[in-house]
Amino acid sequence: MTAEMLKPRFTGARVTRIEDARLLRGQARYLDDIAAPGMLEMAFVRSNRAAARILSIDTSAALRVPGVKAVWTFADIPITLVNSAYPVQQPVLARDEVRHVGELVVAVIAEDRYTAEDAAELVQVKYDPLPPVLDTRAAMTDEPRRVHADRPNRFYHKVQETDGFQQAFAGAPRKLKLTFTTHRQTGVPLETRGCAAMPDPASGRLTVYATHQSPHNFRAQLARVLGLPENLVRVVVPEVGGGFGIKAMFYPEYVVVAEAARRLGRPVKWVSDRTECLLTDAHARDAVHEVEVAFTEDGRIVALRDHVLGDTGAYPFLGFAGAVGEAGWATDMLTGPYKIPYVSITIDCVFSNKAPTGPYRGVGGPIGAQVHEGVVDAIARELQMDPADVRRVNFIGPDDFPYETPTGNVYDPGSYRESLERALALVDYERLRRQQAEWRKQGRYVGIGLCSFVEPSAFAESEAGSIPYEAASVRIEPNGTVTASFGLGPTGQGHETTMAQLIADQLGVDVKDVVVLHGDTDSAPFGGGTGGSRSGTIGGGAAVRAGQELRTKLVKLAAHLLEASEEDIELTEGKAQVAGVPARGLSIRELARIAYTDVGRLPEGMTPGLEVLVRYRPPMAATYSNGIHLAVVEVDVKTGFVRVLDYVVVNDCGKLINPMIVEGQIHGGVAQGIGSALLEELRYDGNGQLVTTSLMDYLLPSSTDVPRMRIEHLETPSAAEGGFKGMGEGSLIGAPGAIANAVSDALAPFGVFVTDLPIRPEQIVRWVRQGA
Amino acid sequence: MMSEVQTKTTVRVRLNVNGAVHELDVEPRWLLSDVLRHQLGLTGTHVGCEQGVCGACTVLVDGKPERSCLMFAVQAEGHEVTTIEGLTPADGLSPLQEAFQEHHALQCGFCTPGMVVTAAALLRDRPNPTEEEVREALSGNVCRCTGYQFIVDAVLAAAKEGRS
Amino acid sequence: MKPVAFAYHRPRTLQEALERLHSEPDCKVLAGGQSLVPLMNFRLSRPGALVDINDVEGLDRVETTDAGIRIGALVRHQVLSDHPLIREVHPVLAEAASHVGHWAIRNRGTLGGSLAHADPAAELPAAMVALDATFELASVHGVREVPARSFFLGYLMTDLQPDELLVAVHVPRSEGRAFGFAEFARRRGDFALAGAFAEVSEGGAGAVTWFGVSGGPERCELTFPEDAAAREAAFTALVEAFDPGEDAPYRRHLAVLAAERAYQQAVGRRG
Repeated sequence: MTAEMLKPRFTGARVTRIEDARLLRGQARYLDDIAAPGMLEMAFVRSNRAAARILSIDTSAALRVPGVKAVWTFADIPITLVNSAYPVQQPVLARDEVRHVGELVVAVIAEDRYTAEDAAELVQVKYDPLPPVLDTRAAMTDEPRRVHADRPNRFYHKVQETDGFQQAFAGAPRKLKLTFTTHRQTGVPLETRGCAAMPDPASGRLTVYATHQSPHNFRAQLARVLGLPENLVRVVVPEVGGGFGIKAMFYPEYVVVAEAARRLGRPVKWVSDRTECLLTDAHARDAVHEVEVAFTEDGRIVALRDHVLGDTGAYPFLGFAGAVGEAGWATDMLTGPYKIPYVSITIDCVFSNKAPTGPYRGVGGPIGAQVHEGVVDAIARELQMDPADVRRVNFIGPDDFPYETPTGNVYDPGSYRESLERALALVDYERLRRQQAEWRKQGRYVGIGLCSFVEPSAFAESEAGSIPYEAASVRIEPNGTVTASFGLGPTGQGHETTMAQLIADQLGVDVKDVVVLHGDTDSAPFGGGTGGSRSGTIGGGAAVRAGQELRTKLVKLAAHLLEASEEDIELTEGKAQVAGVPARGLSIRELARIAYTDVGRLPEGMTPGLEVLVRYRPPMAATYSNGIHLAVVEVDVKTGFVRVLDYVVVNDCGKLINPMIVEGQIHGGVAQGIGSALLEELRYDGNGQLVTTSLMDYLLPSSTDVPRMRIEHLETPSAAEGGFKGMGEGSLIGAPGAIANAVSDALAPFGVFVTDLPIRPEQIVRWVRQGA
Repeated sequence: MMSEVQTKTTVRVRLNVNGAVHELDVEPRWLLSDVLRHQLGLTGTHVGCEQGVCGACTVLVDGKPERSCLMFAVQAEGHEVTTIEGLTPADGLSPLQEAFQEHHALQCGFCTPGMVVTAAALLRDRPNPTEEEVREALSGNVCRCTGYQFIVDAVLAAAKEGRS
Repeated sequence: MKPVAFAYHRPRTLQEALERLHSEPDCKVLAGGQSLVPLMNFRLSRPGALVDINDVEGLDRVETTDAGIRIGALVRHQVLSDHPLIREVHPVLAEAASHVGHWAIRNRGTLGGSLAHADPAAELPAAMVALDATFELASVHGVREVPARSFFLGYLMTDLQPDELLVAVHVPRSEGRAFGFAEFARRRGDFALAGAFAEVSEGGAGAVTWFGVSGGPERCELTFPEDAAAREAAFTALVEAFDPGEDAPYRRHLAVLAAERAYQQAVGRRG
């Protein structure tokens, strides 16, 4: 009995969030809320050229501004970041040459940000412009030049082909060719990036506050770059206002800030402004997929070929070259939920004179789904089949699990067919199709778009690093309350609540009695952080296991004190009691008191205290969530504007820890997907200038752009502890494809098939004209 | 490129924030958002863009929602400024804040104070808004986490229960 | 993103404000600041001094005059869109004001500020041109009345002199003319990709005033053909003359659609 959970009280329930009160009251402490006596602020002079040699830098006028403490160039901070996989040099402040607009050139440290910006304006940088590398295809052949003189622009090339592909492809009766493009986009967390470093002369330690998704990874990078032992660096991630992947990267600003604090012996802070964010937060997507599909007359896909061209910008991020990540994930998941036996994949990634790309929620997943779902819909159109039927024909069935894809994923069980059928039922699909035909007669162009997806989660490797486990340190304090600590890096996902739910259920205490700590490398156990939808599954597994271990000890102690057998002890409502005999019980508080301060009463051999540290590594390399999005859109063919009329999500992320939090994650991902499909684009001009440097130009979905969504959960458990699967990214994986397919469907009478995202209204008007 | 640096002179202002009067020296160019946050320590008002777009810095000026990043602190003299701290009871949460919690209307929490401030003003002016009116009123407050649905639900629920 | 330092003046009277504008070089008027302050935060606008007119007496009134209504320069967009008198006399103006930005922007942004800033994609300058408003421009030398139709000179350029303050606008009653308004923007509250005001009089005579299609409001008089296709052709011919810049064909196309929607609304208002 003891090893098994009694009926969970909190796991699976819509528990309101523990972190909400401080956030709602305006009392949460984000990075820019951190103040320290004597803190200096930093501003940067950034390159305003895409590619140029630096002829000279004159900082003299800036240094004369009252309140300025230092004005530094690479000569002052000669530190270079090197990605071990693609060894190009990225000086933290540009050395000799700039390679993208927004690249750091000079750091100005002053009494306050206003003064720092005043001085930064006075720095004179003379450039000798070079022809910028902006076109991905041209870059492949080093045209017009190399971004890094010592390396070809094409820095990554990979070919992967299933044995027998050529024959299967050639032998198929039908073929289609499609080119899918997703332009540059980025995560845009509402809180900008930032970093504050504070040296402690007494201990010789350096404390660095940072907006980051992985405190330990950040510490490792910073310590390595600065040549400091890790125990002299404390990284504290305070409240973080959204991350979406972009805050999983290690940026050069952080090095400069930390180094400045050490050199000046004073706290130094830099908070990015929105323009800096749009210039240099990890850009994402920016890939072209040239796809050929071979299929049978009944819509069965036989073979799929994909050549990916990806642009990673000027430098690869440490540990994560964006284009490689995007292309890798997109093609790993190229077959999605379908039984496609043969694939041929070629990936080429290049450097360009644009900002570095990195992770953004879903990394490659949205593009991969756009490709396989676009392919399925294109086949449906070609064969005049219903898109749902083409999916039915190709789905991996319930009996096929575990299913190994030709790209080497081993899918654990999912609900691919069932989620489709549920989604269709939710919108009364047959009736909706009839209604659509009616509307079309009236000149209303309504489209229905499906996007079925498989979301790999809890990967051994992710942008958070290659740490296939997570740690939970849980202790019951001497008064019976619970403190848990994780190496996670939540940016709004509600881990303080979900982890507390899991632990509370193991210990039979109230969820409100569990305090969850994270973000401080001085107190958190080493962990991988948050990214790749790993926290719920791996972190949650660690929470459960740690809870179990503590539970075992509590039960043993209670059995000893109550003179009962361990099998008869139950933990419930803050008490350990003999099952069915509440009178024979001890409160957790009393047990804790004894465990710490009355240790003479412990059973023989039991160590004092109630504290465990557990590392949990799931038994599988990854677990695969799945789901389907169904979007109903109306296209105004005169204006080109798209309105989302209805939106349904059927989602299967295994056992739910907190359905309310899962729904919130889905809503947010769908909103980002609508942005990705219809609004968001980082645009460079012909000189390599980013023209979308404000939120007036980079358009985010607002409350009037996002429809009401309906969500249904399915629960196919994983083999991981608790049966959890990750779900942080699936909503953004499914949404762009659903919107794209819905627009294609709406515009089918004009022969329009969408393969470029975002869809701009002027394109729609042009397509409709051409098709009419 | 500027040819010279303007002399940075400060002026003394009296600011009425959340019912308390503060006398302080500010440079005229200091944004109200910066002064609230860094001079008065009212860090509940967040800064997400300083471009007037995101709405995270929304405060009430004489009861009306306005962007504190598009106003200089000197301009606030003679007006009543209310921040999220001023809409928060000494203990616990206001009914509107409670509705936000109950409906999971926040994730990272960064847009939340601006949302609550705007929604509070909406419910004061229009105690029974339609969903469309709520969405319209909040359309100048960007949230990147929630997809807005639970925020809209929270505001409608607070209205329904006559609380704000 | 922090503004450059500036000197700050907050006059209480019009005279004081005008004297300041006259005496201080490199000086800009600060009204609602919803266009100016973002530009200052970007350091694209760097005035040496600001004259904050928010406290100047009497600039925030809406009043009836013999010819129509007089609207003070400090009237906020939200007031413009909610004001009973404006909604009654010129519903099209109230509606246009409700399309300016978002609630928080409308609560602070002012009519005078929008007109003086003269963003080509803004609603209110075009509204003034369409409604044949006259602007009161005051300086230490006196008051000059300038018709809206000659005030806007091009992209962010107006006839307003550095020492002048736009004090009020006079909007005449419609007198048998009906007005309609339509605009297209990517999202609620965004600047328009294209928009139009239509003015329809007896016998289909009238005009269309476009915005978002060139450097400023563009007013074209025409007799509206009764036939829809002919109207579209007429609008199309007129917008050919405009250069909206990026995505020009599309925005001209939207301009034609906006004109038609505005025309329909105006015709509907005629009853």
